[in-house]
Amino acid sequence: MTRKRRRLWILLACGLGLGSAATLALFAFSDSLVFFLAPSDLAAKAPAPGRTFRLGGLVEQGSVQRSTEKGRPTAKFRVGDGAASVEVTYVGILPDLFREGQGVVTLGAMQPDGTFRASEVLAKHDETYMPKDVADALKKSGHWNPAAGPPPPAATWNTMEPKKTGG
Amino acid sequence: MDASSVVAPPPSGRNPGRSLHRFANPGRFLRLSGVVLPWLAATGAALTALGLIWGLFYAPADWQQGDAVRIMYVHVPAAWLASAGYLGLAICSVLSLVWRHPLADLAAVEIGPVGAAFTALCLLTGSIWGKPMWGAWWVWDARLTSVLVLFFLYLGHIALVRAFDNPERGYRSGAILALIGVVNLPIIKFSVDWWNTLHQPDTITLTGAPTMYVGMLWPLLFSALGYTLVFAAIVAARTRAAVMERRIRTLLMMRAEETAA
Amino acid sequence: MTHLPYIVAAYVLGVLIPGSFAVAAFARMRAAARRLAAVDPRANPGSSPGPETGARRR
Repeated sequence: MTRKRRRLWILLACGLGLGSAATLALFAFSDSLVFFLAPSDLAAKAPAPGRTFRLGGLVEQGSVQRSTEKGRPTAKFRVGDGAASVEVTYVGILPDLFREGQGVVTLGAMQPDGTFRASEVLAKHDETYMPKDVADALKKSGHWNPAAGPPPPAATWNTMEPKKTGG
Repeated sequence: MDASSVVAPPPSGRNPGRSLHRFANPGRFLRLSGVVLPWLAATGAALTALGLIWGLFYAPADWQQGDAVRIMYVHVPAAWLASAGYLGLAICSVLSLVWRHPLADLAAVEIGPVGAAFTALCLLTGSIWGKPMWGAWWVWDARLTSVLVLFFLYLGHIALVRAFDNPERGYRSGAILALIGVVNLPIIKFSVDWWNTLHQPDTITLTGAPTMYVGMLWPLLFSALGYTLVFAAIVAARTRAAVMERRIRTLLMMRAEETAA
Repeated sequence: MTHLPYIVAAYVLGVLIPGSFAVAAFARMRAAARRLAAVDPRANPGSSPGPETGARRR
């Protein structure tokens, strides 16, 4: 029994050491584990001009301007995180989920004029899943504007009967 | 009883048959799993089929993702089982290292490939889902990368436990690797909360109401439960096979020694 | 259905990967049980001979 005890203690000690080492390492490398920078991060630690990085945030309501330049679709929009926002230009086809109020992650670099020129735009959807009927009912009743922010608390809609309220 | 005593591991403890070793008895495991396994497999297959058919044909489409959201009914259970299977591997590793549990050694060896397969399923379906929704097959964000690391941990374990001539050394080394890799589990779980990721945070949490319509939640729960039982049935069948194979080896070796003597 | 090719691909993988592992595991189990029965006639894989009636019923 004592040998089993000893093995258990050795294992626990190793686990404790490994766990704290991993925690420290994660804290130390936390910056490089971030997939994208938010607009308000740019003020604190802006990458060097011309350096490629990822910028992520929500597409601001009413900021999307679509046009066609030299036969290619072009979009201008502002990406914000509540505290700050950056003007982004992108030439190319936007993903299906792109819309105002939607999260996006863009890859590109800051231009001298303070705008961000993106070569890639990825859509970042949130963790809510609801049928179209329910979303329409929420929009119609004024409980939610998808362009303005996240949906209301899940408990208010996740058992909703769409047919009754959607009527 | 007779057959199991033939291949029972050398009695290491002074009081065999006590406490945990009661369940370590391979003969008992063979009998118990023989009864449970058909039910496990049948229920698992039925629930998985129910969840998948429900999710594919009867659950509503998402208001912004459209029908692509149905990939969830495969992807999410695979992701849960990738982590849960690794947790099982880690528990077997503790039993193996501390209590020298003979069945845990075999179970750990057999969990590895199954867990790797479900992790691969999670990565593949995630990729298939990511392309139409995000616009990319793969990104190196913290969630995707940590699950890829989980896949490599499984592969490492599979290779390591089979790398030694002496199986005991393989079991020990594999157990140590598996336990070191446990650090990755909380990283996978909380990666979407700790860092900016492209992957969205968890929908189903312990703390709040699931941010998912019930008509989508039910098929997901059925397919998750079904896949879990299927996973357990595969591991149990493989472990049964491993116990019998070890018994065959031991019997043949004993017979060879008898004829030599 | 939108995104049909993606959905079909995901479901095919979701059935094929666990399914093939399950079939392989059960085949391996059957083979091991047969070999064990050949090596050790006393062993009745799945249930032990003796108090249980499984041995007699076979």
